[in-house]
Amino acid sequence: MNAIFPLDPHPGVLVVGAGIAGLACARDLAHRGIPVTLLDRGRGVGGRCATRRVDGQPVDHGVAFLHGSDPAFLDALHSVPGATLLEGWPSRVEGTGAPCQPDAFAPNERRVAFAEGVTAFPKMMVAGLDARLVTTVVGLHAEDDLWRLDLAGGGTARARTVVLAMATEETLALVDGLPPGDLELEGARHLLRMVAASVPCLTVIAGYPTDVPAPAWDVAFPETSSILKDVVHDSAKRQDPRWTVLVIQAAARWSRQHAGEPVASWTQSLLSEGARLYGEWVAHPAWTQVRHWQFGRIESGNELSGPLVVEGAGGRTLGIAGEVFAEGGGVQAAWTSGRLLAARLAERTIG
Amino acid sequence: MNDTLIHLEEIVAHEREHECEGLGPRRLCVRPVSVAVLPTRFGDFHIMAFWNNRDGKEHVAILHGDVVGRENVPIRMHSECLTGDALGSLRCDCRDQLEAALRKVGTLECGAVLYLRQEGRGIGLINKVRAYALQDRGLDTVEANRALGFRDDERDYAVAAHMISTLGMKSVQVMTNNPDKMKQLQDLGVHVSGRIPHVMPPNVHNRFYLETKAARSGHYIDFSGRAHLPEQAEPVVIEGMPEP
Ligand SMILES: Cc1cc2nc3c(=O)[nH]c(=O)nc-3n(C[C@H](O)[C@H](O)[C@H](O)COP(=O)(O)OP(=O)(O)OC[C@H]3O[C@@H](n4cnc5c(N)ncnc54)[C@H](O)[C@@H]3O)c2cc1C
Ligand SMILES: [Zn+2]
Ligand SMILES: [Zn+2]
Repeated sequence: MNAIFPLDPHPGVLVVGAGIAGLACARDLAHRGIPVTLLDRGRGVGGRCATRRVDGQPVDHGVAFLHGSDPAFLDALHSVPGATLLEGWPSRVEGTGAPCQPDAFAPNERRVAFAEGVTAFPKMMVAGLDARLVTTVVGLHAEDDLWRLDLAGGGTARARTVVLAMATEETLALVDGLPPGDLELEGARHLLRMVAASVPCLTVIAGYPTDVPAPAWDVAFPETSSILKDVVHDSAKRQDPRWTVLVIQAAARWSRQHAGEPVASWTQSLLSEGARLYGEWVAHPAWTQVRHWQFGRIESGNELSGPLVVEGAGGRTLGIAGEVFAEGGGVQAAWTSGRLLAARLAERTIG
Repeated sequence: MNDTLIHLEEIVAHEREHECEGLGPRRLCVRPVSVAVLPTRFGDFHIMAFWNNRDGKEHVAILHGDVVGRENVPIRMHSECLTGDALGSLRCDCRDQLEAALRKVGTLECGAVLYLRQEGRGIGLINKVRAYALQDRGLDTVEANRALGFRDDERDYAVAAHMISTLGMKSVQVMTNNPDKMKQLQDLGVHVSGRIPHVMPPNVHNRFYLETKAARSGHYIDFSGRAHLPEQAEPVVIEGMPEP
């Protein structure tokens, strides 16, 4: 297998996962002068902070808006250059069902969105960092005092310090392959298994001509549906949208039960339920796209308090971050966990 | 109504709308909301309930005698432990520690047990059970416990320091076997005038400490004979053992 970087081993830290946790960690390491490279299987950064373009119009199909109460996190959200910040979005909320994050509408919580799409935030974070996209890590192995990452397609990358910043199940897929024996690693692995309980989310993105009776709300959390978790009026975030766009997200339980069915079938179910709740027009979109979030969110109660650092032979170090590794879960927790991990890794001499 | 209660009620009345910059890295601020008499099987106390600005966790000060405006007030910081304090779990010695503190304070002219709540909401209690599950498998590593937030001292100290200042104690003597606790409080602006060793009476569960060297490592040995980090974050000292 071939090393993919000119420098082998990599002189600093390899971060697997360029979601908010990985980006926050990488950025803080880079600020401390530590060489860092991000690897992500996606075509863009941000992970579940995801925006796609349909007809040139941005659509957020993962997190619909960003929210938090930590002043440092709020500062970061407010410092995205060149982006149109929608302060306080969503302001028009329909229904009394539970939001994705129980605390999203708590009194001290602030909410924002971006007219350019939620990825404006991760795009700002990745500026100046070395990120390798469309790079999937398929194996993790200890090699003397180094970690070796095997990549889809046959390449490898090695470093003394590797950070795993993905959904817990994705992290476990790599960590499970490591041989038993080391107590700290066993403790960490067991802990990961205990908290690996991400919930899926089947998502339909539906586009309608702009002359439909557009909803008078930004987000709806229906309290009377066992099928829908929420419906986001995505085009309400856009300037002069070409399409009225709804992002229809299924409840966790329902998603789990129906994930195996043909896409056309669950798409139809979600549209019909949307029509029942918000008007017949919802059942007849001009176009649809879908997204199956296999590891969409975590349920509250599954969070830990901080990231994991596992040290092996010769200073070989594995750091683990992600939304699970800070109180509350969600984007703010992902960000916090990445920063805490960077601080802890920087405490030790790296390289 | 006794004079002490009047003093304490004045504090509540005065501090009810209190708001400040907060203490510690998380800028924790607590304000007293209510105070009442609390007779206990360990002595007569007043209980003062505090509200906190960050996470809605309620903390209490259990007070004996009149501590307001006093020097050298003996204080004990105790971190809430539902399983130990209330359920009598033998996985930890929290209840013994708490009882010893209340008994001791009850015999003094004045003193306070600052009861710091960590487990009131969500992940605290769940993660503690997770920590026990790891202990059951011999996997309670330092890292895993850290990720579980097991013993989040930083928060404890900030809340305790704020309570001490709210109660107008001029200086305190900390009942602890861990001198670090004094330094942490000092760093938060508390005037610490001394330390009182926290010694527990022997009982069937801890008697074996007297015969083993285990305690010297700073670990707690639980019902199953396993050593792990003590939950009240200090070495166990039983009457008859050399003081740390
Ligand atoms: C539908 C939905 C609604 C949500 N609503 C909210 C909300 O309202 N509020 C809130 O706070 N949070 C919400 N969340 C959760 C939030 O999106 C996540 O908590 C947060 O984005 C997680 O960030 P992360 O960095 O931990 O993980 P991720 O964003 O998942 O980042 C992990 C990255 O790792 C990459 N990756 C994974 N495996 C590999 C591999 N083997 N090799 C290379 N790269 C890999 C992925 O491509 C991804 O980019 C929602 C999520 C979804 C899906
Ligand atoms: Zn205050
Ligand atoms: Zn206990």
